[in-house]
Amino acid sequence: MTGVWALLGALAVAGAIGVLFKVREGRISRRDSSADSMDLPVPVRDLLAPGVTLVQLSTTFCAPCRHAKVILRDLADRTDGLTHAELDVTDLPDVAAQLGVMRTPTTLALTADGTEVLRVGGVPKRDSLLAALQPHLP
Amino acid sequence: MPKDAPVDPRGPRFSAWMTTVVLAVVLLTGWWRLLAAQTVLFAMCAFISLKLNPWGHVYRYAIQPRITPTTEREEAAPLRFAQGVGFVFALVGTLGYATGLTTLGMVATGFALIAALLNAALGLCLGCEMYLLLRRYAPALARPQSQ
Repeated sequence: MTGVWALLGALAVAGAIGVLFKVREGRISRRDSSADSMDLPVPVRDLLAPGVTLVQLSTTFCAPCRHAKVILRDLADRTDGLTHAELDVTDLPDVAAQLGVMRTPTTLALTADGTEVLRVGGVPKRDSLLAALQPHLP
Repeated sequence: MPKDAPVDPRGPRFSAWMTTVVLAVVLLTGWWRLLAAQTVLFAMCAFISLKLNPWGHVYRYAIQPRITPTTEREEAAPLRFAQGVGFVFALVGTLGYATGLTTLGMVATGFALIAALLNAALGLCLGCEMYLLLRRYAPALARPQSQ
């Protein structure tokens, strides 16, 4: 009988996690613009381009990172002043920790001076991301 | 460590459903030898090759020819990493059941089932997305299968 309860418990937890992930997938969080851009790790700073750069943090073991890359690359190709760059942090956990990133893909939208305007957890939703970026684009 | 070619992503989803069923049977019956067999299967896929997964062969020969072909491919590295995460939980579960620590066995098997079910139903690989978190708290897991 205990096994039945264990199974039901596992199913309930899986359902809750699944709902949580679906709700959070692609969620955009706006950052405090007063955050010190000087703290940006060098591998990230090296990727910055004029306008806004979407820095996508990925790992070798991240399956959805490929989907995020397709969406972000296409968005950047079609949008003036927007660049996409991918940074593999599989062997750079300190960089991820410094940025407060625990999950991949996570995408940071950074201005040329390194100010973070927003970040997206999971695979981004194209339209809502573009709308959120609009005020920061030339 | 041999490198596997990218695969049809529906294959691993089918395999995850089968794994979910196996783990559910283990939870319901406490049949630890079945969990031990699943542990060996996880280990073979994680540390040797995904080609050793019998569910992959069932998918390839019995299901794939009957469904619409897809050009979509999924890299093998995340799949093998997921099998590695499954291996750890299944190993702890097997040891728990086999040594009389039934609660430990059930909890570990439950975690493995949650991961397998999320993978099967939503294509969500918790361990893969949380790799950075795992690496922070379990540095020994860092790059378990560098290729």
